[in-house]
This record gives sequence, structure tokens and C-alpha cells, in this order.
Amino acid sequence: MFRTELAVVGAGPAGLSAALAASECGVDTLIVDNGSTPGGQLVKQTHKFFGSKAEHAGTRGIHIARLLAGELQRSPQVEYWSESTALGYYEDQVLLVEREGRAHAVHCDALVVATGAAERHMVFPGNDLPGVYGAGAVQTLMNVHGVKPGERVLIVGAGNIGLIVSYQLLQAGVRVAAVVEASRYIGGYAVHASKLRRLSVPILTSHTVKEAHGHEQVERATVWQIDETFTGVPGTEIEFEVDVICLAVGLSPVTDLLCQIGCKMKYVPELGGYVPIRNENMQTTRSEVFVAGDASGVEEGSSAMLTGRLAGYAAAAYLGKCPDFQNKRAECQRALDALRAGPSGQKVRAGLSVVVSMEAGTC
Amino acid sequence: MTRADVIIVGGGIMGCSIAYHLARRGMRRVVVLERSHIASGATGRCGAGVRMQWGTKPNCLVMKESIRILEGLEQELSYPHGIGFKQKGYLFLAHSKAQLIQFQKNVQLQNSLGIPSEIVSPKDMKRIAPLLDTTGVVGGSYCSKDGHCDPFHTTRAYALAATRLGATLLQYTELQSVTKSAEGTFKLTTSAGEIEAPVLVNAAGAWSGYVASMLGVNLPVYSERHQILVTEQVERVLDPMIISLHEGLYCQQTPDGSFIMGLGDPNEPKGLDQGHSWQFLFAVSKKISRLLPDITGVRILRQWSGLYNMSPDRQAVLGAVDDVPGLYVACGFSGHGFMMAPAVSESMADIILGNTPRVAIDVYGLDRFKNGNLFYEPAVV
Ligand SMILES: Cc1cc2nc3c(=O)[nH]c(=O)nc-3n(C[C@H](O)[C@H](O)[C@H](O)COP(=O)(O)OP(=O)(O)OC[C@H]3O[C@@H](n4cnc5c(N)ncnc54)[C@H](O)[C@@H]3O)c2cc1C
Ligand SMILES: Cc1cc2nc3c(=O)[nH]c(=O)nc-3n(C[C@H](O)[C@H](O)[C@H](O)COP(=O)(O)OP(=O)(O)OC[C@H]3O[C@@H](n4cnc5c(N)ncnc54)[C@H](O)[C@@H]3O)c2cc1C
Repeated sequence: MFRTELAVVGAGPAGLSAALAASECGVDTLIVDNGSTPGGQLVKQTHKFFGSKAEHAGTRGIHIARLLAGELQRSPQVEYWSESTALGYYEDQVLLVEREGRAHAVHCDALVVATGAAERHMVFPGNDLPGVYGAGAVQTLMNVHGVKPGERVLIVGAGNIGLIVSYQLLQAGVRVAAVVEASRYIGGYAVHASKLRRLSVPILTSHTVKEAHGHEQVERATVWQIDETFTGVPGTEIEFEVDVICLAVGLSPVTDLLCQIGCKMKYVPELGGYVPIRNENMQTTRSEVFVAGDASGVEEGSSAMLTGRLAGYAAAAYLGKCPDFQNKRAECQRALDALRAGPSGQKVRAGLSVVVSMEAGTC
Repeated sequence: MTRADVIIVGGGIMGCSIAYHLARRGMRRVVVLERSHIASGATGRCGAGVRMQWGTKPNCLVMKESIRILEGLEQELSYPHGIGFKQKGYLFLAHSKAQLIQFQKNVQLQNSLGIPSEIVSPKDMKRIAPLLDTTGVVGGSYCSKDGHCDPFHTTRAYALAATRLGATLLQYTELQSVTKSAEGTFKLTTSAGEIEAPVLVNAAGAWSGYVASMLGVNLPVYSERHQILVTEQVERVLDPMIISLHEGLYCQQTPDGSFIMGLGDPNEPKGLDQGHSWQFLFAVSKKISRLLPDITGVRILRQWSGLYNMSPDRQAVLGAVDDVPGLYVACGFSGHGFMMAPAVSESMADIILGNTPRVAIDVYGLDRFKNGNLFYEPAVV
């Protein structure tokens, strides 16, 4: 059996930051990720990040991933297993990890779950045709593997992800037929939206996909207007000749592992779905298990790094290895508060207010 | 306070099938109380194998009748979806001469009761299950009419048929306490209010001991955890259920292509714990890759556990509780209650209504623990 003081599941910005914080406190850490390169979502983000300067805003996501992974490599205290999937975590503090086709039992004294978020799908006729992709899959194809997903794309969702992916498609020489958005407003930043408009990509608010058509793959999409109750309005249909429909309709926290562990969960729409109840130190109702990043509620890269760091320090404190925890905690919390301040942070604040609870353990 | 003619505690296969037979025999206000959803207990967690190959006469007779009922159950209960009944046999492996002798005794008994089982050689076994590695196997027994059945659909089929006949199924309703009044009525307090009836049936599975204790009755049963797993779906390559008493292992491939397998592990905790362990995954994988080397590498999809309700002789505990008139039990199935339900539920309904059941179940009565008539079942995992 492999033994480690701390195991971290997920090597996105949250998991990497947690591992770095814990190792800084002298905690032996194993980090496992099912991807081939560390960085999680970051490895496909070729754009310069928004968010807080201290958390590398202005740097391209892919470079942030390299920066964090480089730091990790220099830390003798951290072991990194790539292409390794955490399958389950058991009563006797054993994490079961699949690596090279075999199951490995890893005993740990504390665990940080930083499994990120998964893309949501949409229900419409033809949604199972080849050519219907999540935005993340489109990004992975283009930015990681250098493969064009198609020639003409319909984007569904005008949040930041939908807008950024549209722009990246245009940069790669793919045509974007339109961006449709169910809400009456564009959710993403105005800078991104204006960039698209300047390139004459229409953004249709109060519109959604009605149906995808095609034999072997997507050949056409029907879009229609929707009313205040989000019901389609007959007679408003528009047809687009496209071979790709790219869904950027939000993310849901990946919490299977936390559910399996038996952590108390709560459905919080503001945070994207089921998330674990935890205290201010990211500690769940199972005292040795901590959560960080999008798995604790969908936010963005900067807060993923900050909650990751916080969880890493808290896990170290739980193991009796972070004498300066209160100061480090306060520092992370200040930065998080600043990030979540203002109108754009209102949704996240509302979500957190119902899920951060003293019901969870105290460390 | 709501009144019923009979209240059944437990919405597993037993509770739902007893409700169906009572309603079908004309009992009017039949109520089933289920704390969670139907089949949430052992029923929905079980291996769902059904077989006639038993080592005691009563079990053979009950199971012969159960399988006959299962063959026509979709029609009887008008359940068009189907209950997934598959008769591709049960293959018992003998790893020693002594085991084979026991199997021969069992098969002799089974044949004498009209059960078409047979002793098979390792060569026959290769024909029945070509993927089986028969190293160390000296022979076995086989019955082609044994098989497997979907526990969720079977329970739902009984529950729907019962409600169509007027029974009331109260899911997410827990029995919290029960007393018996001077006039002989059971007064139940549930999470959804009070309800009373002159007849109470304890079909609470692993929790039957606890339910009985509410009325001061001490049932000679206890519960223990058993773990089980299911793999991803692959091409169909295994027909029969394979049972190795030597390894304590059973494994079958369901019609959708996934393998379901479990272990009889004497070290599992007694009590009501329904957790699971990684050690189980390693133990099963090791054993199954010896028996069916070709399925090594098939991925495990899910693991879980359920509770066996055990009796001292590993035989069901069925019938009236003499000390408390109006109270009946159907518990202690010791890991094989799913398959017995079709026949047992019918006999239970007849006993409750004072009729003579078609299949006698009096040997399973509680009085056997008083007068020492225990009858041990040798053929259990
Ligand atoms: C198109 C797009 C643009 C974005 N732009 C920005 C931006 O400009 N600025 C910003 O701040 N944020 C941005 N974000 C958001 C940011 O990328 C995420 O919030 C952040 O990556 C979340 O970090 P995380 O570590 O929680 O999860 P992830 O980055 O999702 O990492 C989770 C990791 O865990 C692994 N994993 C999951 N389950 C298991 C398991 N069982 N075993 C092993 N490994 C597992 C996953 O493979 C993954 O590598 C963007 C996101 C997208 C999709
Ligand atoms: C891993 C495993 C494998 C098995 N394999 C097989 C097999 O291959 N073949 C076979 O025939 N059998 C098998 N069994 C055994 C079989 O599952 C059981 O014998 C059978 O399902 C018992 O049915 P039941 O209705 O008596 O109990 P259950 O299905 O446990 O139903 C009892 C119900 O009572 C409810 N309840 C309890 N207390 C209360 C209360 N206070 N108020 C309201 N409701 C309450 C519970 O929620 C539960 O749903 C297996 C069992 C396990 C665990």
C-alpha cells in the first residue's frame, strides 16, 4: 500500500495550489489527475486570464498551468501521478486510484478533492448527432490537439466561455454563424462581446436551439426565439447551415467522489448544482476531507487557486503542520473576499451563504 | 387515525408480493409501509439469482413452485415491461471430493422432487461455460432451469398489481412505534401519522428483529453485511450463474451484458452497516480472474452492499407469532429471500386468511426454535 500524508485529487489550478500550500508546510503530498498534463481546464485556455493580478490574471491560462506545475516539480515533497483516476475513498482512509490499468490503494491522513466541473448538456432533438460538442471539448480539440472541430459553428450560450471560444474559433479560421443566448442579456464581459460584434458575428439574445438536423452528423440547426417563460415562439425559427453546435451553457461541479465518501451535500443553483457543505476552511462534514476549486462551487480560475491554497493550508493545519494557519487563512480569505466583491460576485456570495456552515468539521 | 385490515411493514419483494396476494384474495384495506422507496433494502441490492438446486426438501419444493410462478409472472401481474427472467442455469463448482458427494446427495434429492438438475464433469462444465477455468474443479451440479430475474422490475410488478387491486403503498413512510390495544388492534405511529389494523405483517428484512422488538417479541435473527459489484457491459459470454462454495463466490452475466458478483465473507460485520470496502474489490477480482481468466480487465462500474437477515439454521422464518395474535413474520431469509418470494408470499397470504396454502411452509415456523426442529441448509453462499 502507498502511504502519503495528503492526497489531492485533481491537478487543475485548485489542486495544484492546494498541493503547493501543503508542501510549503512540509506535508508529504501525492497529487493524482486523470489528464496527461497538469493544469486541468487551464491547459486549453490560450487567452489571457481575467481575475485577480496576484492569481496571474493577464497571463494566458496555459502559462499559468506551466508556472504552477513548474513550482510543483521543484518541491521534493510532492509526488505527481498523471493519467491516474481516483475511483473511491473508503472508511479506512484509503483512496483507490486507477493507474496504468491497475487499482492502487493509497492511504492518506487527509484528502483534498479538487475535481473541477463538468460541462452541462442540453435537451433538443438531434442533440446526440456527431458535431454537437461542449465548449470545453471544442477548446481541447483546437488548443490542445490542434484539430479544427468543423467549418461553421453555432455557439449556444453568451457567457464568457461561449464568447471566448467563439473568438478562438474565428482565430483558427473557423466561421461562427451566430451566438444564441436564452437570457435577455449577454452574460459575458462586454469586451469579449464587442470583439465578436466587430467581426460581425450576430449575438441573438432570447434565442435557443430548437433542433439539430443531419444524417451522419450535424448539417443544420434550427434556432428560435423564446418568451419570458423560456418557451419557444412558433414562427420565429431561423435555420443555420452549420456542421458544429457548440454548447457553452454552464458547468456543474464534479462531486461524485464527495458523494461516494458520504460528505453531506446540498443543491445550490448559484454554485452550479450539488456541492459539499463545508466550513470556512474548506473542510467537509468528513473531518479529514477538504474541497477546493470548481468542485466546491463553480467560480473561476483565480478563486480556484485561492480556495485551493486555503484547503492546502487547512489540511496541513489539520495534520498539525501549519503553525501560522490563522494568518495564512486570513490572507487567502481577504483575497477571496476582494474577488467576490461587487455585483459580479453576488451570485457566488448568495450560494456560499447557504453552504458554508459550522455543521462541517472544525480544524 | 386511519384504519386498515392489514398493515405490512416493508416494501421489499416480500412485502409487495404478500400485499398482492392478500389483495387478490379479496382483502380490502391492505397497506404497505416502506421507509424509503420500494426495493431499497436487500431486494434492490441483491444478486437476484433464482434456483431450485437446494439441499433440503422444503427449499426445493418452495423453489420449484417459485420458478414455475416466475415463468408466467409477467402475464399474471400484467407487467408489459417484463421482469427480465432469464433461465440460463446455475452451475455449482465442487473443488473437493467431499463437496461433490454433497452435491450428489443434493441432486438425488432434487431429482426425487422432479427438479431437472444433474451432476456434471469438468468437461461438461466447459461446454456450459466455455470461459470457465476448471483447474482444481472436480465436478459440479447444474440445473438449466435456474436463472436470474430483475429485482427492481419484479418488485414493481407486484407493487403495481397490488395497488391496482386496491392495496395502498405508502413509500417514504417509516414505522416508528407500535402497541397492541386491549381489543387486539395494532396501533402504529409512522412518520406520516397514525394507522391501525387487526393484522400486522413484519416483512422488514434486516430490520425485522427491531420491528418485532417494538412489540416485545424476540426473533432469533440477526443481520450481516454482504458486498457485491457490477461491471461495465460487454459482449454476452457467460450463460449460467457460477457458484463456488469453496471460494464463497458467485458470478453471473445479466442480459444487458454486465457481470454481477459477490462474496460470502465470514468477516463481514454483523449489524446494520451498509458500507463497502476496497478490500472486497481486490478479493473478488483475484478470485474471479482465477475462475474466469478472460474477463480480467473488464472494468468495475459500481460496488455496494446489502444486508442478509440470518437465522440460526439459515432458513427463512415464516408464519404467525404465537405470543402475539394477529402478528405474522416473513424474515430470516439468510441471503435467498428474493427467489423464494413468489411461492412464499402466496402461502403467507393463505395462512393470514386461514386458508390451507398450496405450498406448505409450516416447517419454517417460529416454533422450530422452541422444539429444536432446526434444519440446516447446506447449499448457501
Ligand atoms: C473556456 C473557459 C474559459 C475560462 N476563462 C477563464 C478566465 O479567463 N479566467 C478565470 O479565472 N477562469 C477562467 N475559466 C475558469 C477556470 O478554468 C476554472 O474555474 C478552473 O480551471 C477551475 O479549477 P479547478 O482546479 O477547480 O478545476 P479544473 O481546472 O477543472 O481541474 C480539475 C482536474 O481534476 C481532474 N479530475 C477530476 N476528477 C478526477 C478523478 N476522479 N481522478 C483524477 N483526476 C480527476 C480533471 O481531469 C482536471 O484535470 C475558464 C473556463 C473555461 C472552460
Ligand atoms: C448482496 C446480496 C446478494 C443477494 N443475492 C441473492 C440472490 O442471488 N438470490 C436471492 O434469492 N436472494 C439474494 N439475496 C437476499 C435477498 O436480497 C433478500 O433475502 C430479500 O430481498 C429479502 O426481501 P425482503 O422484502 O424480506 O427484505 P428487504 O428487501 O430488505 O425489504 C425490507 C424493507 O423494509 C423496510 N423497512 C425496514 N424497517 C422499516 C420501518 N420501520 N418502517 C418502514 N419500512 C421499513 C426497508 O426499508 C426495506 O425496504 C441477496 C442479498 C444481498 C444483500
